[in-house]
Amino acid sequence: MLSVSNLSISFDENHVLDDFNLDLQSGDIFALLGDSGSGKSSALRFIAGLESASNGKVALNGNSLSLNGNHSVKPELREIGMVFQDYALFPHMTVFQNISFGIDYLSKNEKIERVQTLLELISLQGIEKKYPHQLSGGEQQRVSLARSLATSPKLLLLDEPFSSLDKSHRDQLVQEVRVILKNAGVTSILVTHDESEAEAFADRVGVIHKKKLLIK
Amino acid sequence: MSIRQNNSNILMGFLAFSVAFPIIVVFSAWLLPGSELWGHFAENLLPELVSSTLILLLGVGIGVSVLGTVLAYLVVMVEFPGRKWLEWALFLPFAIPAYVLAFVYLGVFDYSGYAQVWLRELTGISGFDIRSGHWAIILTFVLVFYPYVYMMARASFKRQKIQMIEAGKMLGASPFSVFWKISVPLARPAIAAGLLVTLMETLADFGVVSLFNYPTFTTAIYSAWGDFRSIEVAAQLASLLVLVAFLLIYFEKKARGKAKYYSSDVSSIKPYHANGLIGWLLFVFVFGVFMLSFAMPMLQIIIWSFEKFTQEWNPRYFDYLSSTGILTISATVLTVFIATLLALPSRRKSNSKVLQILIRFSTLGYALPGSVMAVGLLYGVQNISLISIYFGGSSINHILFGSVALLLFAYVSRFMAIAFNSTIASSEQIKPMFEQSARLLGASRFRLIKEVYLPMMTPGILAGALLVSVDVMKELPATYLLRPFGWDTLAIRVYELSAEGLYERAAIPALIMVFLGAVIMLLFNKLDRDNN
Repeated sequence: MLSVSNLSISFDENHVLDDFNLDLQSGDIFALLGDSGSGKSSALRFIAGLESASNGKVALNGNSLSLNGNHSVKPELREIGMVFQDYALFPHMTVFQNISFGIDYLSKNEKIERVQTLLELISLQGIEKKYPHQLSGGEQQRVSLARSLATSPKLLLLDEPFSSLDKSHRDQLVQEVRVILKNAGVTSILVTHDESEAEAFADRVGVIHKKKLLIK
Repeated sequence: MSIRQNNSNILMGFLAFSVAFPIIVVFSAWLLPGSELWGHFAENLLPELVSSTLILLLGVGIGVSVLGTVLAYLVVMVEFPGRKWLEWALFLPFAIPAYVLAFVYLGVFDYSGYAQVWLRELTGISGFDIRSGHWAIILTFVLVFYPYVYMMARASFKRQKIQMIEAGKMLGASPFSVFWKISVPLARPAIAAGLLVTLMETLADFGVVSLFNYPTFTTAIYSAWGDFRSIEVAAQLASLLVLVAFLLIYFEKKARGKAKYYSSDVSSIKPYHANGLIGWLLFVFVFGVFMLSFAMPMLQIIIWSFEKFTQEWNPRYFDYLSSTGILTISATVLTVFIATLLALPSRRKSNSKVLQILIRFSTLGYALPGSVMAVGLLYGVQNISLISIYFGGSSINHILFGSVALLLFAYVSRFMAIAFNSTIASSEQIKPMFEQSARLLGASRFRLIKEVYLPMMTPGILAGALLVSVDVMKELPATYLLRPFGWDTLAIRVYELSAEGLYERAAIPALIMVFLGAVIMLLFNKLDRDNN
């Protein structure tokens, strides 16, 4: 379903990732584990089309998205969703407006229905009219998840989504999000530096070690 | 309350009063029984004044908001050829006073300007008056004032989290949709602030509107005073101008809301890269704005200056230079001295409510058009004289009218806010521990100020001084009304020559002024960089 091959990443002449290859099947939940500076976030952002690389190829469902480290399809046209470390909810929009941002082409009723379903999925009904700053960190992260799921992405990328939360909330949310993604059948990649989080979340875990990806 | 605090209250009270004085005075003009002249103004001129002022504000407001925001977005968010130097070049129009740009455009595009002459010879169409209608003047103002919105929006875009834009992209939003639905709403408070400054400057402008013969409150104020010799009507009109200014401040406060969407980290990643044709089209657009608003007018001024140098240059220029220099330096020193006193840490931390309100008020002067300041002072002095005569005393008109003191007073109250904001910023960085340790080491209050506070506040004080001096040097409306006989400044010379249509000759004093302004701004930039 997703195929990443020969990905190499350098920061200012400094080689951090070499010949990274990854294949995911539909519905797979994969975790990419690595220390800071190991290039794991850059790999994720390359798949998203947000950063280029020295070399690498990405194909989704057989369609080539990136070749030789450059992108042939823009991020906004890739049908890939992304959840950010600090949620990146739009502060000037309500929860409803945030979640429906990517499905603006739907009719108003369709949007209401879709947002309703997603809020049920993340167990946060009734907060449509709230603004992000009125929510707790965990709630914001769940809204952020709902927002990326709204567009029914073919692939979901999660860039350290739990690292801003405290430990007690984190473990619970990691389980919840896993269940949500499994039920929705979304192919996902989680990037994290926390081994237990990776183990708890994913079906398979890969570790970046000495510039290479090792699949556990 | 200690004696010292009482002293500062008195000082502050005096300053706040000095700013409030012109405002109170212009409103007091309504207390007089309705005059025939006011009736004439109200009936024949006021409706046109109001509508043309509104059209001007609306046109300039839309123009600067769109141009300033788009330019800022492009240089912050998009990588395109020439972006790096254009980002700084777009600030340069700040160095050209509005009335200078106005006379250059008039000189080029006027009926006898070479653009129209060339067009007539080429196409045979008859000439047109670019002063008629609203377009030419609105365009001129937009090209002069867009840097205010550009500056504020640019700073705001720089502080926007890159993740916001990436999140938008990942949700399928096109570049335009990211701009319109995410970046612009997030930058709204900054855009509104830049827009407010622009509209205030437009409202306060005297040079451009009078060169274009465009009827606004400012031109009407001068006409009431100059043509009809009625200081009362001038004051009444000025009070309406104050009302409009206050309304603008109110709307800006509302538009700004309580929202603060900034992140502290300034990202240097450009979310968009415009390559190939689109990149070059963006370059042409941004470069075009730079050419129109700065490079071409500057070039024109330089060319005219060379052509007309022998005709225009005479020993009187030494007088213009010395008047400009003396007024600028003394107004700057006075303003900065008072601002420093106000911003000293020991005053700042005083928790007196009255004091805080007074400080707020005394820095409102920047919102007051120079014409209101001038009319308020003249009318105030005249009223004091009348009261004095009523009680058997003598008039003070001859002492104060046309005195340097009155003009300096106007400058100080008008530009106090700039100096104060700059000095208070540096004073706020002085932590209480410095005062405490100096005191514990036995330093007297005088030594504390001299050896601790002042050295630490020096960058702020100097920056304030540079900014104030540029503004005083190019100030026109208050100088025009209040200058003592024989105290023509470079700004006055520019205005008088261009008002007579002698645009080519006006280029010489304008060039000197822009050159001096550029030197001061360079100093300011260097200072700013050293501090960072």
